[in-house]
Amino acid sequence: MSTSEHRLAVEVRDVAKSFGGVLALDHVSLELREGEVHALLGENGAGKTTLSNILAGLYREDSGSVLVEGVERHFHSPAQAIEAGIGMVHQHFRLVSSMSVAENLHLGSPDTPKVVSSRTLVASARRMMDEIGLHVDPTAKIWQLSVGEQQRVEILRVLARGAKVLILDEPTAVLTAKEARELFGVMRQLVAGGRTVVFISHKLNEVLEVSDRITVLRGGKHVITRDAEGATARELARLMTGEEMGIEVEHREVTGPPVLVLEGVTARNSRGVEALHDVALTVRAGEIMGIAGVSGNGQTELAEVITGMRTCERGRITIDGSDVANTSTRHIADLGVGHIPEDRIGVGMVASAPVKDNAILRHYRTDELSSKRMLKRERILAFAKDIVEAGRVQTRSVHMPAGQMSGGNQQRLVARRESLVADRLLVAAHTTRGLDVLAAKQVQEAIVDRRDADCAVVMISDDLDEIMAIADRIAVMYEGRIMGVFDRAEFDRERIGLLMGGQTETEVVA
Amino acid sequence: MIAGYRLQRRLDADARRTAILRVLGAVGGLVAAGFFLLLTGRNPFTILADSIEAVFGSKRGIEGVAVQSVPILMCALGVALSLRMKVWNIGSDGQFLMGAFVACGLGINIDAPNWLLLVMMGVGALIGGALWILVPAAARAHWGVNEIITTLLLNFVAVQMVVWASLGFWRDSSSMVTQSTRIVPVTLPRIPGFDSVSIAFFVPLILAVVLWIVFRSTKVGYEIDTIGGNPRAAAFAGINVPRRIIVVMLISGAIAGFGGFLQLTGAPGAQALNGGGFSRSYGLSGFIVAALAGASFLGVIVAGLFISAMFYAGIALQTKGLSVYIIFAIYGLVLVGVAIGETAARYRLQKVATDGGAASAAPTTPTLAEATP
Repeated sequence: MSTSEHRLAVEVRDVAKSFGGVLALDHVSLELREGEVHALLGENGAGKTTLSNILAGLYREDSGSVLVEGVERHFHSPAQAIEAGIGMVHQHFRLVSSMSVAENLHLGSPDTPKVVSSRTLVASARRMMDEIGLHVDPTAKIWQLSVGEQQRVEILRVLARGAKVLILDEPTAVLTAKEARELFGVMRQLVAGGRTVVFISHKLNEVLEVSDRITVLRGGKHVITRDAEGATARELARLMTGEEMGIEVEHREVTGPPVLVLEGVTARNSRGVEALHDVALTVRAGEIMGIAGVSGNGQTELAEVITGMRTCERGRITIDGSDVANTSTRHIADLGVGHIPEDRIGVGMVASAPVKDNAILRHYRTDELSSKRMLKRERILAFAKDIVEAGRVQTRSVHMPAGQMSGGNQQRLVARRESLVADRLLVAAHTTRGLDVLAAKQVQEAIVDRRDADCAVVMISDDLDEIMAIADRIAVMYEGRIMGVFDRAEFDRERIGLLMGGQTETEVVA
Repeated sequence: MIAGYRLQRRLDADARRTAILRVLGAVGGLVAAGFFLLLTGRNPFTILADSIEAVFGSKRGIEGVAVQSVPILMCALGVALSLRMKVWNIGSDGQFLMGAFVACGLGINIDAPNWLLLVMMGVGALIGGALWILVPAAARAHWGVNEIITTLLLNFVAVQMVVWASLGFWRDSSSMVTQSTRIVPVTLPRIPGFDSVSIAFFVPLILAVVLWIVFRSTKVGYEIDTIGGNPRAAAFAGINVPRRIIVVMLISGAIAGFGGFLQLTGAPGAQALNGGGFSRSYGLSGFIVAALAGASFLGVIVAGLFISAMFYAGIALQTKGLSVYIIFAIYGLVLVGVAIGETAARYRLQKVATDGGAASAAPTTPTLAEATP
């Protein structure tokens, strides 16, 4: 690597960091050049976030050093890091939702004058935006903005403090495909102006698309830093995991009887707006019905209405012929319906409770694990250990709080647990969102295993690649309606993509 | 190279370390209280010695603590139960008073054999305590109304109810005391060998063990803990969350109410309602105990006996010119100390280098010199 022709923004030298005896960063060295998008690639727990938190002043390194423009720095706080020109945009935004964009931009900044009016704040916010070349309505309240716009406010807030190095932690995880594209434009614009962008992701295609250079971390160690040009997704996946990736699914003709039948189903979302209109759908035993669509087009409500978590206003929902609309989650689960919910931490588990309590969440009432009143504590322990083992959940102990596991392991636990519930039907929503390559593959395999055991599967995802690889049939949703259902032989990326964007079948054909 | 220290957040909070640091925090709070006593011109060591003397110096002291512990522990168990569901029942004082109110009403107005009257009063107290939390429970479960406000405010209403009864409709007109109801005709039997401790002393101890077993090995306990951990996950698992919240809050109120019955029939000289003074802020003490114990039922016993001893000492020391309110101030300091201890358990002190880029603490850095050109 010749460093003479590139000016270095940041140099990381031999940085190590451990948490409670576990080495999270194992003597990593890295150079960030001025004017580049530098991707940090790795699975959950590879050390990407630890490294960026050290750069952003949230953690302190145990050993090693960080040089900013050639000067050695040790940050004690994010404020010191930003003063040195390094700022970070976190996965979860830190904005005050009831305040305006202009107010948020000035919040906590040392440059904000002591006495302000909303007019001066808006004017100064406009100035900032013009200087940086990024625009959001400064008078809008944060809650009125889309996620993509909120992220833009976060970026503006960091850049307004003079950051030259911008760290984006999994910025696309919360964005729609269109918003992600816009973000990439912003990233290119920023590096063209001489700034450095550190892009943390485990989506290989995105990394290849937007980065200049790529660094792969694995298990806290530096694996490789290379130019993005000429790199392939397959090669990067192998470097990230140390093994070959990509799920291979065998597809057969589906002949099983219908398990789930929806007729004329209409439901409202949590804000009371009608989110499902007259949905009809049939899913047969032994098939995976992929639900394709941009997030927020009724998929969440569809999963909830099937599993009894949401009221069905009109229509019929039957499972193996028995009407389940508006019964109860318990009744539906007892019929053999498993559900991997979209929000696995918020809905699917109790983060503060031990792994074993989470493992039995759906089964504690069975005769195997409890009598009329008492829990069978030894059986529960054995049951939890089985789930952990069969689900390949990596945890130190089943007594550890589930929230302390990585996201991938949490999802392995939920996926395994729900697979055990799902004798007849598995509803799986955004199962691989935020997971690394290996965990995603294992969760996908668990879903395919269910299908092979003659279970019906409804798989919701906004990742069309994933659906096209795994599903036997695809239903496209747009604004709460099913726009079309395709057999595997008719899978056509372009056509499905157009339907996802709201064009009707006749428009597409014409 | 200068070595320094810094706080490092732990990924795991070890239960034993947390317990030790909570106790250390409580001790720290007491030490801080000592300094404040010093500022008021009193010698904290003398007060400590007097307190220990008051509690352990005589059989009377130990019996006094035992008597005092019953209402405090009953209120604490009620609070701790709802706390397992992350519901803050601040109203145990009111539930305690209303339990005593119903028990007293039955006791002075109904003619029945002693055993039957005691049973009726006990059941009445359970119902009285439960009814006093019914509205906050329903409002919380179905409309998400903050139970801290509603339960707290009902305390004041309960005090006025009891004052009204003692000044008005149940007033003992034959007595010189203006604010007292008639005396209930029945008491719980004394424990043999004790002058003032009745069998009421065993009730909270047994109840604590029962609750401990419920949460350790029953389905209901698991469901309540699941609701406390994440109500949405509980609903996902098919648990009827609003119904569970109501039932658990009613039981929480009933336990405090039963404490009122135990006080009325078990404590020496408490056989009548004498206005709001019938509860010497037992709900407040109980709340402190539950908070100190971190909603662990066996912990409630330990913390409860500790607080009862402090409370008794405080009353005993009034003869030496100390206000009982000092006890509440000390509670506050102890609580702050425990909160600090609990937070501290999530961190550890790590030795690090503060300059030169090399660390003395990291054992895995043999080649560090090579990295610095």
